[in-house]
Amino acid sequence: MNNDYILEIKEISKSFPGVKALDAVTFNVERGTIHALVGENGAGKSTLIKVLSGIYHAESGDIAIDGKACRFSVPSDARAAGISVVHQEIKLAEPLSVAENMFLGNVIVKHGLVDWKTMRAKAQEIINELGIDIDVNQAVSTLTIAKKQIVEIMHAINHDSKILIMDEPSATLTDHELKILFSIVKKLRDKGITIIYISHRLEEVFELSSATTVLRDGCHVATLPTSSLTKEKLISLMVGRELGQEYPKEIIPIGETILEVHNLVRKKILNDISFDVKKGEVFGISGLVGAGRTELIRTILGIDHYDSGEVILKGKKVYYKNFHEAINDGFGLIPEDRKLQGLIQVMDVKKNICLANMGKVLLNGIINRSLEKKYAEEYVKKLSIATPSINSEVQYLSGGNQQKVVIAKWLMRESEILILDEPTRGIDVGAKTEIYRLINQLVKSGKTVIIISSEMPEIIGMCDRIMIMHEGRKTGELMRNDVTQERIMAACV
Amino acid sequence: MAETMRHSSIRKVAKLMIKEYMVIIGIILLSIVFSLSSPYFLTWDNWKNILLQSSTVAIVALGQAIILLTGNFDLSLGRNLCLASCVGALLMKGQGIATVAWNPWLAAIIMICLAAFVGLCNGLLTAYVGLPAFIATLGTQYICYGVAKLITSATPIPKLPDAIGFLGRGFLLSIPVSVIIMLGLYAFAQFFSIKTRMGRNLYAVGGSKEAAFFTGINVKKYTLFAFVIAGTLAGIGGLVLMSRLNSVSLSNGQNYEFDAVIGSIIGGISLAGGKGKLIGTMLGVIFLITLFNGMSQIGIDPFIQDVLKGFVLVIAITIDVLSNKKRT
Repeated sequence: MNNDYILEIKEISKSFPGVKALDAVTFNVERGTIHALVGENGAGKSTLIKVLSGIYHAESGDIAIDGKACRFSVPSDARAAGISVVHQEIKLAEPLSVAENMFLGNVIVKHGLVDWKTMRAKAQEIINELGIDIDVNQAVSTLTIAKKQIVEIMHAINHDSKILIMDEPSATLTDHELKILFSIVKKLRDKGITIIYISHRLEEVFELSSATTVLRDGCHVATLPTSSLTKEKLISLMVGRELGQEYPKEIIPIGETILEVHNLVRKKILNDISFDVKKGEVFGISGLVGAGRTELIRTILGIDHYDSGEVILKGKKVYYKNFHEAINDGFGLIPEDRKLQGLIQVMDVKKNICLANMGKVLLNGIINRSLEKKYAEEYVKKLSIATPSINSEVQYLSGGNQQKVVIAKWLMRESEILILDEPTRGIDVGAKTEIYRLINQLVKSGKTVIIISSEMPEIIGMCDRIMIMHEGRKTGELMRNDVTQERIMAACV
Repeated sequence: MAETMRHSSIRKVAKLMIKEYMVIIGIILLSIVFSLSSPYFLTWDNWKNILLQSSTVAIVALGQAIILLTGNFDLSLGRNLCLASCVGALLMKGQGIATVAWNPWLAAIIMICLAAFVGLCNGLLTAYVGLPAFIATLGTQYICYGVAKLITSATPIPKLPDAIGFLGRGFLLSIPVSVIIMLGLYAFAQFFSIKTRMGRNLYAVGGSKEAAFFTGINVKKYTLFAFVIAGTLAGIGGLVLMSRLNSVSLSNGQNYEFDAVIGSIIGGISLAGGKGKLIGTMLGVIFLITLFNGMSQIGIDPFIQDVLKGFVLVIAITIDVLSNKKRT
């Protein structure tokens, strides 16, 4: 029980079915400092935050605030203990004013009536202290995102917070707004509030924090004074792991360019992206969540529209007004959200598998039961899909098997260019390897595969070429032999 | 080991059959109960009545069921039917908006087209403008009723041309024509929904709009399609109804959309969309009509009928929700 530490985290573990999200994480946070928390996607940062804010219950381990052991059953317990969180997504009541939002859940009452005058005055006090230009009576909906974020921060600290956790606060800010954010964060620290700052932008870590904690694969890797770190050391702490998994990549002769994208621009989302993909390639698109990878694919496939640029398929310029046109031209997409976008949960396995290519099971325009059965059974066998029967509803299958059904659907469609968006997210190791083998089979049979993935070992293990994106721009491209995790991570941030 | 496996698969099949044909079992049970108290219940005369009454509601219910399958809901079907019938009747008799008496068949076609057009409006508002179906059809419902009131000055139109009389009052081989129409429509619809690619896509849209979209299905088109079909069926139902009653008033088709929903749910169509067989809707409507027919015969106050309808609806929806619990 050290008086310098405002927060002591000891052996915190948290598991979900099939995944150990946090594994005996232990570290301490010094009082009155800005403490950075970094790690890749899936390292366990969000889970840890949720445990600290009372949203999740840790299955083992202890948390102590100011030396006192704490147990949070509900988020309000954490709030009462002095922990406040500013989340990535803005959660304000848009039509209400700044003052009203600041006191949301914490209204000042005088003689049984709400005391607006005092609340407005207090709100103004805080605003003046932080030196920001916001009108307390202004409706939140009229504010810029940066200012909304500031209101969120003020709402958070309004609860006598000792610890303020900020989850990727800078993700949507311009350079100028960043400066204002930084000055606010520093002022809060000077007032005695401890800040846990999560960010992928390593420059911020170096600018703001005095200590940095690195998580990797649910484990605590290191907690060090920021001054003792360099960007390279930090990156290698974040990614340094052994590629223990098997990536059954087979090198297959690569053909001519099949897809070219020139100078694709979509206001505020995609910034002049150009790349090409060759037939038979496994082309990877890497980057952090929010880099614009899914948006890029959606734009090329006609799901969303773009402002300028060109897409060229097999030498011919194409423009898709809707997704259906793209499918007819030979594209296939295994979407990010397999539950909601990939499958019709209440339909059975065989219907889902045949859905993208009904033409194959029609006989004189009528659905033929035995053709459906034949194809479904064929793919269930080929992909080793574990299901009680082809007539079972897909919602009863495990995540990995559901994903295989999605893949089966597009295999049946025989798409020439198959795009997989985070194909193995949340899937156990065994199923992952099977999916990788499928990808191999696909390219062996002449198809082309594009993989979007945040999992670096996967992208390094499976791809012939990797393009890295960051904030809507292409920041790098690496060939298979040149690739290392550090190189990718450096371009991601 | 083999024994227990066979037992469990028998149980599985039994469970499946009971769920699918619960309605038929329900109708049989009701019949047994009512026949014990009323000797008239099991006569062909009575059953003819039940089927006749069911047929008009069932025709409209088919449209509602198709809309339910795609995950939407149509509040305007009853008033749509009413408006179409009013227009049809006025044209046939040469009154009101019509200056001369039109050929009754031409008038019939026009009224069905009008009903389809209302459906088209509903579909455009829901699928392309993006209004919630509930709101769009609520608005259409009032517009239809208002226009119907206007053009008829709220006066019933009796004695329609004999030419169309056989639709609602005629018989073919002792079976009422309206029942044959109902059976024919359902047979076609059931086949279409299960056996064609378009039918499969309808189920897909209802099962998950997003997933259907990401499979390349044109969700908006199918949503629109469902509303247009339902409108058309409302028009057909209106024609049969006006023929049976031999008159048209503002109460023709009143509350049909709700009876249609209740019948659909009893028959196994899920409110969540994408599940259930269309043929079940027909059985569900027959179940409802049988219930009320029987109740009248054993002397239960007709005013209690609405209360009962409510109970039946709540029970049916509860069963639907509970059996779909796993859905996200």
